[in-house]
Amino acid sequence: MKKRLLLLSFSILAVFVAKAQDTTKTDPALTISGSVDTYYKYDFSKHNNIPTSFASDQNSVSIGMVDLALKKKVGKASFVGELSFGPRGQAQSIPNAAGVYDEKTNSFHIQNLYVSYDVTDKLNLTGGYMATFVGYEVISPVGNFNYSTSYLFTNGPFQNPGFKATYAFSSKVSLMAGIFNDSWNLYTSVNKVNTFGAQLMISPVTGWTAYLNVLTGKLSGTEFDLTTSYQITDIFKLGLNAADFKPAAVVGTGGFTGVALYPQVGVSKDVTLGLRGEYFKTKSGSYATLGPPPGSSVFAATLTANVKARPLTLIPEFRLDNNKNDTDGFTTKSGGLTKTASQFVLAAVYAF
Amino acid sequence: MKKALLLVTLLFATAELYAQKDSLQLDENNEYVYYKVVSKPELSADSVYARAWKFAAALSKDAKPKKGKADKAFNVAGKFMNYTGTSLVRKESGEVSYTLNFQAADGRYKYKFGDFVYTPYKRDRYGNMVAVQGVHIDLKNLTSKYSQKEADDIYNQVATGCITTELRLKQAIDNNPPVMKRPEVKKVHTGNW
Repeated sequence: MKKRLLLLSFSILAVFVAKAQDTTKTDPALTISGSVDTYYKYDFSKHNNIPTSFASDQNSVSIGMVDLALKKKVGKASFVGELSFGPRGQAQSIPNAAGVYDEKTNSFHIQNLYVSYDVTDKLNLTGGYMATFVGYEVISPVGNFNYSTSYLFTNGPFQNPGFKATYAFSSKVSLMAGIFNDSWNLYTSVNKVNTFGAQLMISPVTGWTAYLNVLTGKLSGTEFDLTTSYQITDIFKLGLNAADFKPAAVVGTGGFTGVALYPQVGVSKDVTLGLRGEYFKTKSGSYATLGPPPGSSVFAATLTANVKARPLTLIPEFRLDNNKNDTDGFTTKSGGLTKTASQFVLAAVYAF
Repeated sequence: MKKALLLVTLLFATAELYAQKDSLQLDENNEYVYYKVVSKPELSADSVYARAWKFAAALSKDAKPKKGKADKAFNVAGKFMNYTGTSLVRKESGEVSYTLNFQAADGRYKYKFGDFVYTPYKRDRYGNMVAVQGVHIDLKNLTSKYSQKEADDIYNQVATGCITTELRLKQAIDNNPPVMKRPEVKKVHTGNW
């Protein structure tokens, strides 16, 4: 009997000891999040036509990337280190150590590597290699609704290494200003740290957020960008991205301008349908984009579904691009010039 | 008798750990609430109210208790963080905002956590978990957006948040805040050996 009582006493003690430990303050743990993605693409011309950043392989079950983000915050100081492995996370989105987009040579595999400090509740300082603040779409497939990417994304910056300060005037207004390396995306500057970037965030009403962005430098050129999204009802969301880019004089003349609209509607608990309609215009000049040649334009319509099964999202997608001229780059099955190109993608993205 | 007392204590301690989702109730408006009436005969209503107000004002950096319509009553807004995963992949999955209604009377007091609204989080381009803009789900409608298992997990975490906050409120009213004692460093005379 005494043994049983002793056992019971130990059990109770154990419960209270466990509770006492829970109330002890310890540093938050290192957290890991990320994703893996894979896809199948079929271009109806039987060869690649549409210059989307990812989903590049024709009639192939191909891989995107394994994305691993490490984060730790202790007190006011934090870091994020995001590593990516695979075509999407290497030569398709980040350069190698030599600053070249080449799958065959080594890569640093870094998407984000920065440290951050909350000076006050309202002021944050961040420095390092960071995902760009410009644009609607991102490299991580978890952050995008569509699997293929817009022309505005493909031709805009992916990363901006630098130093930035963000001040939150309230939960509805904040301003970021920073100084970044002279060239987008590269791990090191070409020569100088002289690109200025700023972002004004405003949230006029609940559910509506707008970001006004500018990035300007003597080598990187100047991009003005508006990225906004509004969750209008429980099931309907509307996003918009508009941008204008002018290259630096030493790089070329011309540039691009464009607008993309992203209406999305939830049709059930697990299924959301979305359309991306994009108009992308290249300015006359010497600057070449990943898209139509200078002085032309393209209209792209992408119909996408997101079918969720908890952490897994299946993304079937149909895309139709229509160039202004039949000499703008698309070709038919037989190699003839054409204005239009279409493709089907089925992707699977698992987030953790 | 001692054995019975011990058993009851053990059951009570275990129940406190596992009572979570069942601790939430549906009120007369069919809304989820966490509601308790506590007897406190040794304290006046003024004392209870003053101590609870002090607790509410310190609940978080943004906490601003407001006087209620009834005598010796106040409301304060707060939020609980929700998490998914365990160990290294444990991260913020959302937040639940709530309103704590408190009222004191001579010999007793009552409190109610209610107006629960869930906002999911998603990972942003910089690798941080942030609130999804414009998505606010009433706790009773969770199953229309999430699977039963996901909803149950959120309910459990809300109940745990209520239980934890309730414990701190009671300690504040009992004027017995938890004291984290720093273990004293033992002194030793190295010359005596």
